[in-house]
Amino acid sequence: MLVFATSDKGGTGRSVTSCNIVYRHALHGGNVAYLDFDFGSPTSGAIFNIDGATRGTTRGGLHKYLLGEIPEPTRLEIWDESDRSSLRGRPDGAGRLTLFPGDEGGGEFAASPEIVGRCISLFSRLEEEYDLTLVDLSAGRSYATDIVLRATADPSLSKVISRWLIFHRWTRQHVYAAAGLAYGDRGIIKSGEERGHDHDKLKDTIRFVRTAVMDPRSQELSGLRAAQVAWLNDVNDDLRELAGRLQIGRTTMLGSVPIDPVLQWREQLISDTDTITRQIANPATVDAFVTLAKRLTDEWPDL
Amino acid sequence: MRIQPRQHLLEIWEALIRSSYVKDESSKESHWAWGGADSDDSVYDTQQLLCLMFPAAEVPAFALETPDETIDAVVGVLAPFGTAIQIPRVLTRILTSYLERHSDTDGNPRFAGGGYFVSDTGESPSEEQRTLDVTESFALSITLTLAILGFARKFREGLRSKSYIAEAEKLEALASKRLTAAMVGLLRSFTVNAFEAESPEGRLLLASMNETNLPTRRLVEELRRELRDVNAGLRDLTIGSGREAELEGQTTLFECGWSWGVIDGAPEIVDATAGGTQRPGVAQDAPYLYFTTVALDGIADLFSTRTRVLGLLDAEQRRLADSLQLRWEMTQRYWAKLATFGVGDRWPLESMPWNTTDAEHSDYFSLLVSAIVTRDMVERRASDERLSRLGRVLAELAKRGRVTERAEGADPAVRLHSPGLRVGLGGADKVGGPQLYWQVSDFGAVLLKRIVRIAALIDDVELRDELLRLGDRVWDHLVQRRLSAGAFKDLWDEPSNVYAQLGEGHSLTASWHHTIRVVESLVGAAELVRSDPPRSEFMIRQAQHSISEAEHLYDQELLDGGAESGKSIRDLLQTVHANLLRAKEIQYERPASAVAIVQKVLRELDRLAAARQDAKGR
Repeated sequence: MLVFATSDKGGTGRSVTSCNIVYRHALHGGNVAYLDFDFGSPTSGAIFNIDGATRGTTRGGLHKYLLGEIPEPTRLEIWDESDRSSLRGRPDGAGRLTLFPGDEGGGEFAASPEIVGRCISLFSRLEEEYDLTLVDLSAGRSYATDIVLRATADPSLSKVISRWLIFHRWTRQHVYAAAGLAYGDRGIIKSGEERGHDHDKLKDTIRFVRTAVMDPRSQELSGLRAAQVAWLNDVNDDLRELAGRLQIGRTTMLGSVPIDPVLQWREQLISDTDTITRQIANPATVDAFVTLAKRLTDEWPDL
Repeated sequence: MRIQPRQHLLEIWEALIRSSYVKDESSKESHWAWGGADSDDSVYDTQQLLCLMFPAAEVPAFALETPDETIDAVVGVLAPFGTAIQIPRVLTRILTSYLERHSDTDGNPRFAGGGYFVSDTGESPSEEQRTLDVTESFALSITLTLAILGFARKFREGLRSKSYIAEAEKLEALASKRLTAAMVGLLRSFTVNAFEAESPEGRLLLASMNETNLPTRRLVEELRRELRDVNAGLRDLTIGSGREAELEGQTTLFECGWSWGVIDGAPEIVDATAGGTQRPGVAQDAPYLYFTTVALDGIADLFSTRTRVLGLLDAEQRRLADSLQLRWEMTQRYWAKLATFGVGDRWPLESMPWNTTDAEHSDYFSLLVSAIVTRDMVERRASDERLSRLGRVLAELAKRGRVTERAEGADPAVRLHSPGLRVGLGGADKVGGPQLYWQVSDFGAVLLKRIVRIAALIDDVELRDELLRLGDRVWDHLVQRRLSAGAFKDLWDEPSNVYAQLGEGHSLTASWHHTIRVVESLVGAAELVRSDPPRSEFMIRQAQHSISEAEHLYDQELLDGGAESGKSIRDLLQTVHANLLRAKEIQYERPASAVAIVQKVLRELDRLAAARQDAKGR
């Protein structure tokens, strides 16, 4: 299965949430590949604590592969390469967790038939090797999005299940932006149609993930004053109404991640050590990742 | 108010789902367990589904058709149906199976009384009798199908999957057909019963109207004059039986309303084919108070704001609705005029119990007439004085019915609640079988429903509070009558919890008849709570005067240069200013809250003034 992670605005926590989702998936025994397609700023190495790839790799990453400069992109096996002790060593029953980093100092580049062809062949190979391939696209409408839309429209990938996750924060502006990215004039569906996708089919593959959500009822926010909670509740109702109207309500929502200090200030994987032993992250955050990991690969109901 | 509609409705839904959506042991799949034992129990099944669909249609927080907007508490309570997305899908299937279950093999909607029919001879109702259509089922079906139509349409809008769209469209088509059939049924069960002043009915009617001891001739004249407009409105109507009402004679009196089913000999309504075949009726050609009240409630939903805004009726249904509306208005007017007839200081309604023209009398009839009068007063925006007078009638009924007072020994009032009032169904034996009765025991819940309705209309704060206190006491009574154990725990009705005379409790299943009335009352209470608080002219004046004084003092402080004299005074004056703005903003909607804010402002300003006074040594 191919999953494309994107967002309209920066700072949604798209990368850190995606990494945590694949991490949870691997812990449950799935073989997972994580592809950093954020060519302008390939920082996923930092999230997995791989010091040598904090800002992309120098050994030839996805960027160089797609441009045809190298035959194979570099792979980093997290269980072996991570510099964080709690991530080193594959846990019992866990599957493979492989990072395909971008190139340090790379940049955006436009699609060409050759690039799309290399992208298709990479996806096909990974589909055989991994249960789940998550492609982290950059924020906004990018060349990377264009490339993968062209690649997935190709008949040779028609048998492969592909899904889209759009990340957005739970605010008015982000809700509008996320809806625009999916359904707008220059959105994914419109662009997909122009590149040969079926409108309804593509629409069915899109789900939304809410990040940094404040739940007024949660224990973490029990310190708020009554007036603050009343205000939050009202804003929340307005947002829910707005989201429903823009077709990014509960029906098309895959899950939501609560606001968490560790995610805000240390954009990293949350391991069980962080919640159980050290108690710096909230268990509700981990629950949200586990739920997302499960729902991502479950069968999605017809809408 | 001690009634918490949101909380109570959620509890009822939880109990409803727990008892009615049951898991099959062998297949592990859940299915809807119908309220009625047989497919001819349309009344039970309809009442049971209305417990879910009525709040869903009437209270915004309980809407189910748009998964994106369903509130979390509702999703939680309905979790046995599945996720928020699955809830309306499961519901669509349940509603469709309801509509199919109550249609014959050719797809014609049926409104059979089934297990509701009882006899007092020990002889069971015959098969033919059980399938007779009844007015209560017509009326309930109108409310339910309108709820379903709104649900199905909005639900469909959010769908993309072809198979689900087809399901929603099928549901809508079936509901629309049943709606037409129910409207046709109500047209064919409406009747006007004319009689002479000298007839037994005439004498009974005049006796209960004569609060001021007028000579009979004068009384007949007065009554006819009072009912002149109703009389004129009814003259051109073809009534259910196909006759035209003959109301011209100088001494002719009449009653209008609904019989218990389609009237014997009622012709078919032409140009209403969408409702399926129209079966011949057998019901007695005379109005019944109980069925009249039930029909009025159902018909009112046809021209509610919701029905109009959502455009739920098609062209044929709008024509039928117009015909029904005329009958509805005349009937409401008739009974309201009768109940409050006369120039004396006593309404006939205030002489309890109410006597019917077939020589029956019961406090339950007084309650039914009060219900109709309530409707009429709502319609006509009656004065607070008349509303509170009606409220006192309800308070008296609550006492007499032993709802707010204890029942001692062999109190006959207990029979109102258990077994309830028996209404004889004239003509039901024509298809072969015993004389049949309709059993009604929802006295307490009907009482609450009307109290809440009147309270919502009264502007006077004290009168309103008085009614709400009465409502709370009736609610306390109803809460005690919930089943306390078993599969139907928290639903109604276990009267022996309140009336020890009835012995040990023995209700094994819920009475949907009772539960739906409670749900209706709670929906009314939710509307009441959602409305603006009652406005008190006195409080508004007080708020205006307080704000005026505070503003003046504030302006003086500014003139004295308070704003330039240091941070602490500047901060204080800024707070004062903000609070004053807020108080002015809400002074008309919530005057008491405005007063509370201004009082704080005045205290702050006075502290400054007092300190200055001290400085000047005064």
